[in-house]
Amino acid sequence: MSKITKLIAALLLVSLALAACSPAQQGGGGGTGNIDCMGAKSGDEISMLYQWSGVEETNLNTVLQPLVDSCGIVLKPESTRDQALLDTRVNAGTPPDVAFWNVSQLVQYQDQLKAMDELGANRESYADFFVSPGTINGRWLGLPVKADVKTIIWYSPANFEALGYTVPATWDELDALVEKMTADGNVPWSMGIESGDATGWTGSDFIQDILLVQQGPDYVMNIMNGSVPYNDAGVKQAYETYGKWATDPKYAVGGAQGTLSTGFKDAIFKPFADPPEAMMVKQSGFAGGEIAAQFPDLKQGTDYDFFIVPGAQGLQGGADWMMAFSDKPAVKALVAYLSSAEGGANWAKATFGLSPNKGAQGNYVDPALQKLGDALATTKGFTPDIGDTIPGGFGSAEWKAIVDYLNGGDLDKALSDAAAVQAEALK
Amino acid sequence: MNRDRVNRILARIPTHLIVIGTILIWVIPTLGLLITSFRPVQDVNTSGWWTVVAPQNVSGPYVQYCASCHGADGKAIPEADLSDPNLIARYPRSLQLMAILRQDINGKPHMGDVPLPTSQEAADIAAYLRNYSSGQAGTARFTTSNYVDALVGYRGRASYFQDCREGTQALDLKCNASDLLNPRGMGRAFLNSLLVTIPATVLPILFAAFAGYAFAWLHFKGRFLLFAILVGLQVVPLQMTLVPISRIYAQLGLNGTFLGVWLFHTGFGLPYAIYLMRNFLGSLPSDLFEAAYLDGASHWTAFRRLVIPLAMPAIASLGIFQFLWVWNDLLVALVFLGGTTPVMTYQISNMVTSLGAGWHLLTAAAFLSMLLPMVVFFSLQRYFVRGMMAGAVKG
Repeated sequence: MSKITKLIAALLLVSLALAACSPAQQGGGGGTGNIDCMGAKSGDEISMLYQWSGVEETNLNTVLQPLVDSCGIVLKPESTRDQALLDTRVNAGTPPDVAFWNVSQLVQYQDQLKAMDELGANRESYADFFVSPGTINGRWLGLPVKADVKTIIWYSPANFEALGYTVPATWDELDALVEKMTADGNVPWSMGIESGDATGWTGSDFIQDILLVQQGPDYVMNIMNGSVPYNDAGVKQAYETYGKWATDPKYAVGGAQGTLSTGFKDAIFKPFADPPEAMMVKQSGFAGGEIAAQFPDLKQGTDYDFFIVPGAQGLQGGADWMMAFSDKPAVKALVAYLSSAEGGANWAKATFGLSPNKGAQGNYVDPALQKLGDALATTKGFTPDIGDTIPGGFGSAEWKAIVDYLNGGDLDKALSDAAAVQAEALK
Repeated sequence: MNRDRVNRILARIPTHLIVIGTILIWVIPTLGLLITSFRPVQDVNTSGWWTVVAPQNVSGPYVQYCASCHGADGKAIPEADLSDPNLIARYPRSLQLMAILRQDINGKPHMGDVPLPTSQEAADIAAYLRNYSSGQAGTARFTTSNYVDALVGYRGRASYFQDCREGTQALDLKCNASDLLNPRGMGRAFLNSLLVTIPATVLPILFAAFAGYAFAWLHFKGRFLLFAILVGLQVVPLQMTLVPISRIYAQLGLNGTFLGVWLFHTGFGLPYAIYLMRNFLGSLPSDLFEAAYLDGASHWTAFRRLVIPLAMPAIASLGIFQFLWVWNDLLVALVFLGGTTPVMTYQISNMVTSLGAGWHLLTAAAFLSMLLPMVVFFSLQRYFVRGMMAGAVKG
């Protein structure tokens, strides 16, 4: 009995002692190098909250390391995908110094956020279509830090060559290529859209790309501002184009059931498996990293590559936004660094997706990212994701419409349900 | 014949089936998770864990289609030496292999009378030749690298050991034993979890034992009302208090400290703990205490010499419950401790990236975090069953 008491007491003491010796802070040098520390002193802390984790977190550390080295800023990062944590922190009056979150939080927290130009952000580094979504009521609140281009199709050049296929340059050529593949007995598309409670998002990307081909970027922007209802004839046409492929086992692996039940990650691998289960997969830029990790012997450019969706008038993509709840010098240094040419270049070198910063151009080490960066630098239009942009859970309504449609539900009803959510959100 | 016995056995069959079925429902997914945690990530991505029991026939299709001409070692035809990596590199996948198999060699069909392999067989041949020509035995089916990667907090695309060999490890990894305490690894998180869990288990039990004794054997005014209010506090949902307590903690400077988490868990653990301890202590025979008081024992002596030894089953069962609850808690640790001193649940939830990569690490991390609760449970399980009855029967 007394042994147990002693044991518990000992454990308690040990844990108290251990808790007391918190990890030592690492100091840094003075403001050396060509990074502007904006008056931040060595040892200044920045608390950050973001949704990245795993290899993404490592990449972010690589990007921020030069700032840490030259200004001695101590980063206090926290990673979660639970938005409730951000909401709790902000409501409790203890927000992180900076958060990397979605564009809709710029609206939600516009009263608490500091304006980017007052923090010393370099406006010249960004194209207009990256600054305008981050500008709320005339105040520039969000710094776009990471971009992704979605309007691309991944394929295997080696397989295309072996089977005598060529990369299509127009939508009609893509259509003809798809028919040729089915005539040869090959399945053209790997279309799996399963993603837990976000099932459908790959489908909504595909449909938005079809809209960019069939209707153009202005039409897509009009859906987002509500002047085109989601059950418009143009949207229906895009759904039918998508549905023709996604529901037929001749065109997509497994037909409708395969599309609905195959995970989006498994779908990425199918065109590159041996024997290949499909010829093409439409997925954002991140798929390249997934393929490289899954098939280490495949080489970008010869064994796997991508082409821009043929005939698309403009690109579809998204950005992650940095927002600042504090205007202390260390935060200013971070904002200045990320919006500087050097920050953009370091982002590109870290192979952490695309950087909206113009300084990134020409500095990508990954050839796939360089190719995407070129497409981004020359695009005429850039439309954000419809579902992410319309507030009030329109994204989920869009996914539900896709899942209902693929399950054999009535398309008109699915679209008018989504249109009702769209109208409610934009009222 | 004793029909009764047969009837009894027959009558038990449904019970047995239900028990076996329940066990299977619990064990099979856990087994799958365990097997997955030992599989290489490429295998995890492409096939289910149950395929590990299927026989692996690497050279079969090669022997069937190619060995008769090219020989078992692939060198029988000198101008087409299949052990030459440069030659094989031209046929990396089944489509390229099928193309050459369909061509005529010296005016005759490549395969002679033998039918062409199916595309799956061609893929197997291509994979076999790739490994054979490069001198590798093929990829292993099981690996411990998931556990190593999870422990040291490796978040790259290959594995910790491979990156360390090639010198391409991330900035926060040193490739020596100090990586076990990397703040992003499960090793460090294990220590943090212990630091959170032990005080957050001991403190509420200690206070609950005092309070339980007071409610059961001290006679003061309004104790029933006070006890009822305390028990009633169990209905307060924890989630509702996150924002107000976070505000108070911000003023006291307790956000992000261990003390804050200990206090929170103690507060929310107490109502149930007091309820259980009071009912258990109240069921002890009153003669015992009267005898002790008559012999001149103070309340402190009675508590220390009588209550603690007698209440061991209740304390142990409370200990198990509170320990498991705190150990597995993500919400409180996330809100009040956050990412600067990550606990195991926080690390597990961050093994998977925002795009779903890395769940092979998640399986290993989950098993690492299961280890200590298993040890606690099995070492205290003889108290567990006794403890379940604690407070249930009033003597």
